[in-house]
Amino acid sequence: MITKELLKDYANKLMFDMKDEEYQTLLKEFDVILKQMDLISNIEGINQVEPMTFPFELQDVELRKDENIRTITKEDALSNTDSKMGNEIRVPKVVE
Amino acid sequence: MSYLDKTIAEIKLSLDKNETTVSSLTTEAIERAKDYQEKLNSFVTITEDNAKNQLDNLDSVKDSPLKGIPYALKDNFSTKGILTTASSNILKDYVPFFNATCVNKLYNKGAILIGKTVLDELAMGGTGTTGHTGPVKNPWNAKRLIGGSSAGSASAVASGIVPFSIGSDTGDSIRKPACYGGIVGYKPTYGLVSRFGLFAFASSMDHVGCFTRSVLDSAIVTDAIKGKDEKDMTTFDSSNINLTANINNDIKGKKLFYIKELVDRNNYQDDMDEELDQILINFDLIKEKCKNLGMTIEEVSIDKNLLKAIFPTYITISCAEATSNNSNLTGIIFGPRGAGDNINEIMFNARTKGFSELIKRRFVLGSYILQKENQEKLFLNAGRIRRLIVDKMTTLFKEYDAMILPATGSIAPTFRKEDIDKLSDRYLLLENHMAIANFGGFPSITIPSGFVHNMPIGINITSGIKQDEKLLNIANKIENALTYKGQIAGGEN
Amino acid sequence: MNYEVTIGLEVHCEVKTKSKMFSPAPNNYNENPNENISEIDLGFPGILPIANMEAVRKSILMAMALNCKLPEKMFFDRKNYYYPDLPKGYQITQNTKPVGINGYIDVYVADKVKRINIHDIHLEEDTASLDHYDTYSLIDYNRAGVPLLETVTEPCIHSSEEALAFLDSLRRIFLYTNISEARTDRGQMRCDVNISLAKKGSKTLGTKVEMKNINSFSNVKDAIEYEIKRQSELLDSGEKIVMETRRYDDTTGKTYRMREKVENLDYKYYIEPNIPPFKITEKLINEIKEELPMLQFERINKYINEYELSLYDATILTKNIETALYFEEVIKKGVEPKIAANWINTRILGYINKEEININDCTFKTDDLVELIGYINKNVISTKQAKDIFYKCLEENKKPSIIIKENNMEQITDTNAILSVIKEVINENLDLAKSYNPERGRTVDFFVGQVMKKTKGKANPKSAMDLIKEELLKLIQKN
Repeated sequence: MITKELLKDYANKLMFDMKDEEYQTLLKEFDVILKQMDLISNIEGINQVEPMTFPFELQDVELRKDENIRTITKEDALSNTDSKMGNEIRVPKVVE
Repeated sequence: MSYLDKTIAEIKLSLDKNETTVSSLTTEAIERAKDYQEKLNSFVTITEDNAKNQLDNLDSVKDSPLKGIPYALKDNFSTKGILTTASSNILKDYVPFFNATCVNKLYNKGAILIGKTVLDELAMGGTGTTGHTGPVKNPWNAKRLIGGSSAGSASAVASGIVPFSIGSDTGDSIRKPACYGGIVGYKPTYGLVSRFGLFAFASSMDHVGCFTRSVLDSAIVTDAIKGKDEKDMTTFDSSNINLTANINNDIKGKKLFYIKELVDRNNYQDDMDEELDQILINFDLIKEKCKNLGMTIEEVSIDKNLLKAIFPTYITISCAEATSNNSNLTGIIFGPRGAGDNINEIMFNARTKGFSELIKRRFVLGSYILQKENQEKLFLNAGRIRRLIVDKMTTLFKEYDAMILPATGSIAPTFRKEDIDKLSDRYLLLENHMAIANFGGFPSITIPSGFVHNMPIGINITSGIKQDEKLLNIANKIENALTYKGQIAGGEN
Repeated sequence: MNYEVTIGLEVHCEVKTKSKMFSPAPNNYNENPNENISEIDLGFPGILPIANMEAVRKSILMAMALNCKLPEKMFFDRKNYYYPDLPKGYQITQNTKPVGINGYIDVYVADKVKRINIHDIHLEEDTASLDHYDTYSLIDYNRAGVPLLETVTEPCIHSSEEALAFLDSLRRIFLYTNISEARTDRGQMRCDVNISLAKKGSKTLGTKVEMKNINSFSNVKDAIEYEIKRQSELLDSGEKIVMETRRYDDTTGKTYRMREKVENLDYKYYIEPNIPPFKITEKLINEIKEELPMLQFERINKYINEYELSLYDATILTKNIETALYFEEVIKKGVEPKIAANWINTRILGYINKEEININDCTFKTDDLVELIGYINKNVISTKQAKDIFYKCLEENKKPSIIIKENNMEQITDTNAILSVIKEVINENLDLAKSYNPERGRTVDFFVGQVMKKTKGKANPKSAMDLIKEELLKLIQKN
């Protein structure tokens, strides 16, 4: 049973919150979507199929050779942060 | 008629004959972009300075079919020194320091970037209405949407601002707006074009593709941006694929098929209206044209339940991957920093503020799908359906050269919120079938095929993987047999 | 009461490569923050991971060293969670098909062999590092994306000694195979300890307590011993152990609660879609197998069985592969194993440990040792002289033969030469010589001493003694 509280928990674990009415919309949406999802599980013989991740199998996959070292500058790396100190990004103290 | 209204191939000829200049083309494209902005809202950023810089340096670029051709780029492609927002508040000030591979390739070929186009926020959506700078309008009728997620890229080409634009396609994000805009939209085989620099939505289904006003132009653009890229492990060597050179091959005897269940009127008895009726009539007409071109066209039947599972499968896989792909958006390294006294608060507030409601709903869904207790039933089952569909299609592509279908079951909708029944056959079958090509990485193209209620409609043609030459070849011949090549929206109808 | 302790270890070890796991940024130790980084490591929008072949090769090599079963294809998974040291919001790791499963290694715990079962070994990327200050933390991304191998044992370890023996062996394997420098002082090797106590004879395990990120082996030992004591006391007083994560503080030598594990975090693992499966072909397996050297455990056994060395000597000789190879080369050149072991373990290792150098950088090469031992065997020099020559060789960076020649150290082995000195000494001490009693040794010792003095120590003492006895006997018989 999907409840608002459950959805709020999901959202919070994804590091955001929503407004009350937005959860209501989401609840209704879940209802439709879960019905659509039932279409997935009801296909015959589905259990015997290996789930697909890649659109097709690539032949001769090459991994990167361990050479041609490349870096970016500290300036570029830090150019979009709102809070830095020296050459590092600054955040409120992280306590475990 | 302005030279800008022509196709890439035509403009190139005019440039070579000195009938027009790159500078005047670019200037005109930028002027149009500005003029139409209020009406269409195609752009997040019109990159006038960049265009000037490119023009200044154009002499050093060796000649290419795209040299001096202005183009627009979806705002989810990384552009060095140019604001790139993905039409989301969470990236509203983000200025990348590196270029997407396709952007570099276009730069090196001398194509002039004149603007970054609006998309559905983070490319998640099919309406073109959810970008942080407002909805994109359809140039054929501004009361209607153009579709998404590559909305601005579609409207920029459909309205004649640029002869081509770059988009991304995860479910039908190029091919549907192309249909609604009466232009060509092409998504090549997965891995033909590098995704490096494209902001990921659902990595296993994301494709880079283009909008043009002719099939030949799509070939020209794709020839310029394709190729194995050391920055994208899923790209493959395509030096043996030459789309432009094979566009006029003989197509006599080619075998096409369509899926019976998707165009069978009996399946739409409850959903039938004049619009759908006209679209199906148009499809019959196209079938005749194909036969007249010397191709055969056969009806193939596929389990309707499998077809109805396409959309839920797409939603399941795409939302799940999107939840993970967008986990980097926390406001720490880039994007507006959230308020708060501790690390969790600042991430939490950045994301709460930065994402719109629709995005959050999709993320919650994606997270639900990936949860341990649901993964088997939802995520993995979707992967299984994906395989069943792809295997079926792959078998069919061994027998047939291509699949042909109406691109959509309706014309571009109005902005008025309509209550679409998302469980109806029409919605589940005809509105969302194009995701098949994303499941299997199949090359797929939409070309305009007529008008219904003064709005453009299109057909979609799809081939087996790496059969892009053949696909564009067939599409080009069909396009030539019709009268919509090069069409530009005439304004409000 | 008596409890049986059960321990499982998760050991992270950085892999030595030129570039990072999924990016071309350099993988080397850098004190200056944010210099070894690329856009991929920081998770900027639009980046894609590009898997490093060398890291993959080394992971396969390690899987082989741990006797693991390899997958047919190499692919990766995403582990999704939010933490400021994880730029992408997910870590690329291996969950579905780790590079190695169901392996084992045998280790010596004191003089007994213990088999440690390996649940799996997987390849992944490291996180960024956080530097904490009073009110803020700074993020350094140099470490983000460094290739890591995580080795996970089965819960089959039952004491701190076993845990330590395993960790030491594992570290030796990383070094033998050149997969990692495995330096704990640089955080290249870190260990999570899962520990539970159950009543002796109990068939079920006790409640598991996890200790995270212990950064030295001695701390692992202390942490385990502290936990055994803490949990035993709790159980003795009838209390329950809480399932939790604890932190070991090496300044107090105690462990402290970090967080209670109310629920297992759901990492929503799924296959990384940007890295197409990479076939581990027969050809690749064979190529990598070539790189796998004989490891410490096998070498110890070989030394004990074939060379009749003690476990102690064999263990010392095999601590690192360079020493083992040095030893084997000396053996191959004909030196008796025990003598070679003795020389290497006492003299050579003593010297290189003091100088903190690698045996390969020591100027006293295998040929020098073979030569030196040869002189002893041929009675050219005495064992005592050999020791002096060894240090002179190192000091002056010269061959033993040169040192011997320069210092005129060859022993006089020519019997006639020694005999003439003996006769000389007897004549000088005729009274004493005449009082010689074969039953008592003192007189002989005196004459040996005199002969050595006259020859400046170059007479072979053994030959000298034999000859002196002979001469003295002749003398008293004559009288």
